[in-house]
Amino acid sequence: MIQSDFVNSYLLGACVVLGALILFSLVRAIRGSRFTDRIVAVNIIGTLTIIIMCILSVYFQQPFLADIAIVYALLSFIAIVVLTRLVIVRRRAQEERERMEAEAAAAQAKGEGK
Amino acid sequence: MIQTIIGLTLVTLGVFVACVAVLGTYRFHYVLNRMHATALCDTLGLLFVLAGLIVLLGVSWHSAKLVVIIVFMWLASPVMSHLTGRAEILTHTHIEDECEVIPYERRV
Repeated sequence: MIQSDFVNSYLLGACVVLGALILFSLVRAIRGSRFTDRIVAVNIIGTLTIIIMCILSVYFQQPFLADIAIVYALLSFIAIVVLTRLVIVRRRAQEERERMEAEAAAAQAKGEGK
Repeated sequence: MIQTIIGLTLVTLGVFVACVAVLGTYRFHYVLNRMHATALCDTLGLLFVLAGLIVLLGVSWHSAKLVVIIVFMWLASPVMSHLTGRAEILTHTHIEDECEVIPYERRV
């Protein structure tokens, strides 16, 4: 392991840049016109947070911070899967309902025609 | 010395890729185009930064954990992108205005 003042300050500078990028992504999430824009922005924020945690785990020489980064990766994955799955399932149910209603209306029209 | 130079160069490259990804979310004007840019941050940016940290650390349990993070994110990122794109296409009412759509026959 190479650890010197130069490496430490360099890693800290990288963390500062990534923090600024997180702020810009947050602005994107607020301005995003559609909800998928926001999901994409939150996805970026999660990834950048994982990167920052890994850099800090090297900076502080604490391996357990890498474990926290693993847990954070799992958490952001689960959050996005659940969110989009909910949207997809609701949309499918709505399509199914519209199809059933259309079929019922068609059957009724046929019955009246007789 | 050479280890430090390689590691810090990789970290710098990774931060640069992350910058490009965030810039892409401002440059593009539609979600599916934006996802194209942001997938960069999930895969290449993470790989470069963590590879740089692994080079700095050398072989240890700590770097093994970082390898686990890379493997997991490379497996999870395509799934997340796929689900996001699917939610976008299913809920957008005028998707034809944004991009070419080929109708998909759902197999029962």
